[in-house]
Amino acid sequence: MRELRDLQLPLNQTQKIRLRRALQQLQDLASKASSSASVTVADTIPVNHEDGVLKGHGTSELDGEVVATLCGVVERVNKLVYVRALRARYKPETGDIIVGRVTEVAQKRWRLEINFSQDAILMLSSMNLPDGIQRRRTAVDELNMRSIFEESDVICAEVRGFQHDGSLHLQARSQKYGKLERGQLLTVPPYLVKRRKQHFHHVEKFAVDLILGCNGFIWVGEHVEARDNMVEDQDNKSEQQNSKLNTRSLRLEEQESTYTPVETRQSICRIANAVRVLSSLGFSLNVEVIMGTVEQSISLNLDIHEMLGAEFCVQIAEREVERRSSLTKKRR
Amino acid sequence: MEYVSPEGLRLDGRRPMEMRQIRAEIGAVSNADGSAVFEMGNTKVIAAVYGPREVQNRSQQINDQALVRCEYSMANFSTGDRMRKPKGDRRSTEISLVIRQTMEACILTHLMPRSQIDIFVQVLQADGGTRSACINAATLALADAGIPMRDIVTSCSAGFLNSTPLLDLNYVEDSAGGPDVTVGILTKLDKVTLLQMDSKLPMDIFENVMQLAIEGCKAIANYIREVMLENTKELEYRRGI
Amino acid sequence: MLQSKSFVRKTKQGKVIKVVREHYLRDDIYCGASICNVCDSSVARLSSSASKILIFDTNVVLNQIDLLENPAIDDVVVLSVVLEEVKNKNLSVYNRMRALCSNSLRKFFVFSNEHHKDTYVKAMVGESPNDRNDRETVESYVKSLGQPELLDLLVQPSSEDVAMEEVEDLRPSKKKIIYSEHKPMSEITLGLHRGIYHQGKLRINRYNPFEAYVGSESIGDEIIIYGRANMNRAFDGDIVAVELLPQDQWHEEKSLSIADDEDEEEEGVHLVPNSADDAPRNKISSSGSTGDPNPAPCRPSGRIVGIIKRNWNSYCGSLDPMPMPASSGGVAHALFVSKDRRIPKIRIQTRQLGNLLDKRIIVTVDSWDCLSRYPSGHYVRTIGEIGDRDTESEVVLIENSIDSRPFSVQVLACLPPLPWSLSTVDLENPNRKDLRHIRVFSVDPPGCKDIDDALHCTALPNGNFEVGVHIADVTNFVHPGTPLDDEASQRGTSVYLVERRIDMLPKPLTEDICSLRSDVERLAFSVIWEMTPEAEIISTRYTKSVIKSCAALSYVEAQARMDDSRLMDPLTTDLRNMNMLAKIMRLRRIERGALTLASAEVKFQIDTETHDPLDIGMYQIREANQMVEEFMLAANVSVAEKILKHFPQCSLLRRHPSPTKEMLEPLLRTAAAIGISLDVSSSKALADSLDRAVGDDPYFNKLIRILATRCMTQAVYFCSGDLSPPEFLHYGLASPLYTHFTSPIRRYADVIVHRLLAAALGISKLPPIFQDRPQLTSIADNLNYRHRNAQMASRASVELHTLIYFRKRPTDTEARIVKIRSNGFIVFVPKYGIEGPVYLTEKGEKGGDWYVDEVQQKVKKMDGSISYSILQTVRIHMEVVEPKPNRPKLQLTLI
Repeated sequence: MRELRDLQLPLNQTQKIRLRRALQQLQDLASKASSSASVTVADTIPVNHEDGVLKGHGTSELDGEVVATLCGVVERVNKLVYVRALRARYKPETGDIIVGRVTEVAQKRWRLEINFSQDAILMLSSMNLPDGIQRRRTAVDELNMRSIFEESDVICAEVRGFQHDGSLHLQARSQKYGKLERGQLLTVPPYLVKRRKQHFHHVEKFAVDLILGCNGFIWVGEHVEARDNMVEDQDNKSEQQNSKLNTRSLRLEEQESTYTPVETRQSICRIANAVRVLSSLGFSLNVEVIMGTVEQSISLNLDIHEMLGAEFCVQIAEREVERRSSLTKKRR
Repeated sequence: MEYVSPEGLRLDGRRPMEMRQIRAEIGAVSNADGSAVFEMGNTKVIAAVYGPREVQNRSQQINDQALVRCEYSMANFSTGDRMRKPKGDRRSTEISLVIRQTMEACILTHLMPRSQIDIFVQVLQADGGTRSACINAATLALADAGIPMRDIVTSCSAGFLNSTPLLDLNYVEDSAGGPDVTVGILTKLDKVTLLQMDSKLPMDIFENVMQLAIEGCKAIANYIREVMLENTKELEYRRGI
Repeated sequence: MLQSKSFVRKTKQGKVIKVVREHYLRDDIYCGASICNVCDSSVARLSSSASKILIFDTNVVLNQIDLLENPAIDDVVVLSVVLEEVKNKNLSVYNRMRALCSNSLRKFFVFSNEHHKDTYVKAMVGESPNDRNDRETVESYVKSLGQPELLDLLVQPSSEDVAMEEVEDLRPSKKKIIYSEHKPMSEITLGLHRGIYHQGKLRINRYNPFEAYVGSESIGDEIIIYGRANMNRAFDGDIVAVELLPQDQWHEEKSLSIADDEDEEEEGVHLVPNSADDAPRNKISSSGSTGDPNPAPCRPSGRIVGIIKRNWNSYCGSLDPMPMPASSGGVAHALFVSKDRRIPKIRIQTRQLGNLLDKRIIVTVDSWDCLSRYPSGHYVRTIGEIGDRDTESEVVLIENSIDSRPFSVQVLACLPPLPWSLSTVDLENPNRKDLRHIRVFSVDPPGCKDIDDALHCTALPNGNFEVGVHIADVTNFVHPGTPLDDEASQRGTSVYLVERRIDMLPKPLTEDICSLRSDVERLAFSVIWEMTPEAEIISTRYTKSVIKSCAALSYVEAQARMDDSRLMDPLTTDLRNMNMLAKIMRLRRIERGALTLASAEVKFQIDTETHDPLDIGMYQIREANQMVEEFMLAANVSVAEKILKHFPQCSLLRRHPSPTKEMLEPLLRTAAAIGISLDVSSSKALADSLDRAVGDDPYFNKLIRILATRCMTQAVYFCSGDLSPPEFLHYGLASPLYTHFTSPIRRYADVIVHRLLAAALGISKLPPIFQDRPQLTSIADNLNYRHRNAQMASRASVELHTLIYFRKRPTDTEARIVKIRSNGFIVFVPKYGIEGPVYLTEKGEKGGDWYVDEVQQKVKKMDGSISYSILQTVRIHMEVVEPKPNRPKLQLTLI
């Protein structure tokens, strides 16, 4: 049997058996729950041609048959038949909240790596200025673009849509979007993150922000108060920003003022490790599961680094079995 | 040299029409978009796919389709004698090209315009038939990366020694200097995308040998399909709903 | 089931590489026994009634293959591991074993135990492959039978450990060192310096490749080397370093050399040898009789320790017939057999074995490792089909390293412009006498185009005769140092084959400018004597001249003129006068002790279109031949005297050494057997006793003379400075001095003598080369070599045509026994001038019920009913047979 992907853990014999049993149970649950058909490349997808068929993503036609071009799950919505790929790069949809990293500062725009087949574009014009004022962008603003985002800054934004030239554009027209600082960026396969209403999570218990980007980039960072309240103390904020703009010497002082306490840092790491464990097991990610994992690690009195050990991994798998089986029971 | 004994056994105990043991595994490189290990007997190759992603060199960008690149290399420890394998020598360049062309024929590049797909294949152990193994590994890695493909490409070699067509030559048989036919096919479409031969063969024998290689390709395709399906199912049930 | 075999191997470059091979174990290998209850018995080969099954171990197969081939042995299971080991140890046994296994009549079954899942035995750590094989052998098969109760019956022999040791010993012998390592050059130089080693050129006996001689200056005698092991990979012509063997081994080595004789020693039919050099030198008593009355004289024998200079060439020959290998298109290893028996077989690799098997090919030698019995080489090119006349002729040329290529442009550029005619410059030359008014004529064989000698004979008023010998003035056209001269000196001599002639000089010179044809003015070098009617030479003159031959006669024509008493024209008179003088000179020469030797030269009648021989017969010698010969001898002797007088240190002369007692031994023994006593104390005594030896039939005397001839050595050229005057003797002609002067068109020696003579007369300066004695010696050596090769080539050509002639004409004829062997005798066929063996017993059987009477030279049947004695006349049947495909040979059988 294939061992865990991405996770080279030295499992002992009992752990191996436990993990295997847990995974087997998951498989049983899944096959009970869904009758969805998995296909691989070049498999024929059975369709009823009389009803008329619309071929969607991951399909093509060969000799009158619908053939999959991807490995994944066949989905049918009315007449539409498509294959939902599992492991693949991110497929953007308008309105998705994503986390990305700046790769280039260009003419009136930033380019961001968002795990898509191309870099995404964030125009200066589709972005709220730090002072929150809606106005025309001046040449000065253009020159000051780097003071807003620099290369390799991590940014949170929203997918605006594809332009007519095929490029992907983003927007950040809210105070909740913008630069992310003092935290960790994790990358997981995008299929593990489900689109939901809420992607921003404030874990008050740990004073940590958790952003689950639809593109599989996950941000765990110190909670920033300003984000929550759109109508914040503008003067204070602008003053802060202005002083940052004007005098770089103030930076040190500012850093001191924004010092992250050790407990918060530990919490960030704990949450990040929870994400790592879950993603390496290939379990879908949402805030409840993540926080549940964190809780369990605390209740087991585990050190942060022990979370990546074999034992915890097996326990999480078993926990997931319990969770899912209770879910199915509830549904019944 | 006697490559097939009168009892009909080859040097390693196979019969002429038998393939070596094959084994495939998806996912071996954690930060690649797709990866796979493919083994044919003692030949072992690893393939990693990156992309589709932003084209690194803008001047190479193609506006209506994806750019496919391939790099083949041999690990220093892949052969019996440990020696530095220079990058970009004639042989690697040739095999890189062969793999790239074969894979390009099956990737639906028009679905990923202005992007780039990188395929890296490295031979970990060489025991004949590396070319075929690389193509098979690349197919698996591409499928793992979720890159849309027209069909599954598989490849297998066959040779002709001691007046017998032999499937899947190992290193000893390969270095006998006899004919060596490497075939790559699109299994569903039943089309040949790769055909290479060393040495020469009469036409009628060639057809037999090639037919044998195609049978080998089909057998490999069945195995690969199984591996992919199992992998897909596993990913799905693990993710849950 | 998969097993991995992993072992470490060392490459030729000395790198150590790890080899990992797969090893599949199967469940579909059947045991071949029909009693088996697990296997599919439909493919069983062993008979169902077999009460026992035999399984052999490697040693049994290796040593008892003959037994296994006996039909009594049946129901045998051959394990593949045994076969594999046999293959590694002895390929021929392996092939025989394979033949047995594939024979449908025999119940031999090959069981691939190495690949059977139950019988595979994993090598233990530290276990040698051989041990493992032994462990594996029997046990494995029994396991596969699926009847475990049998396994308990298996008894391990208690002596297994002993057997194992023996096998261990055998193992390294696979890579046995056959030849000893050559000594490094530094050691050789040192050894030569100290006198431990002796340097010299190796010459291998043409008729016994296991015997060779090294002429060593440091010892002053030839060192004999017996056997390939002592020759230590040296080739004929190599400069080698020899170490003398201890004296007590000097003779023993001989018997060893015969034992070493692994090659098929086979005597073919060949031409009668003309001198002792041509004849096989191995003793008649090679049958190993203990009562050998003349133990071979103890000559120093030695062994070769190093090779100073290789003389590797390309060699002509064919491949040893062998079956086609299994893999077509693959590399096959073949053994190449040179036509020259002195050359050992050469191992070559080829991918086109099928094409080459029936071809004459050229092969060169690359290396000879001390681990391999034969040198290895590579294929160079194909000459043509074996047996094809043109191919074989070319082989003859190549074999004797005769250059038959057309002359190069540079050489041809040295020729005078054509058509050439006498110029006034030549006439005005004060050194050149105008002898055009003299009645000069030539006598030559019919159809001769390169006429290099002409004669004249005029009666002088005082009753004496003026006799002139005019030789073509080749040196007038061939100047020293020109490419033409270099080429001629390289070629050394013209070569006469049955169907063609390979010239020493380009055709225009040979056939036109120099040829003393009738009715054209030609330049000549003349020797003119004044002779009394008693043929006493009163004076001798040498001069360059211009002559105009009035007649080019053939021997037959000249003879006819002399015999026809009606003809009284001046030319005929001259001929008769000359003949009269010649007879006196000849008589006097014989008085002095010149030998009248006989040779069995043959002549072919060649079909003009197909070039195939139509008829063959002995060459007839007439008075006219003898007459011309006599004057040529006289001219040669006169010139020899003249040049030696002027240049005692650098003249080129020809000598014929007296035969040693050892060489005359066979002759004496033969003579004694038939009751004739020969006196060999001097040439005169021998000549007289040969004259007395008249038997009851007319051919008897000639036969004795032929036998005597082949005891002689060959005459050789030498540089007068190299030897002392007593050694200048020409034994056969009984002349103290002799040289070659009369055939400059076809012999380069004569060209040199011409130059010497011209210098002696003050006509031209002596070319600088004559100052350099070593170089002159090397020229003389080259001339001897070329001369000898030319003779060998002519003989080979005649032999070839004899074979072609008899191919279509099986003949019965009379023959004379000339040598007695234990299993037959060698006969001489006078009509065709050939000699060959007649076997009384089947080939391969030694002796049989025949025995040899050494003293009487008879071979007798054990019961005494039949006996054959030497010189007896027998009737034989001659026929060309092909014992092996493409290897035709002439076979003689007794009727």
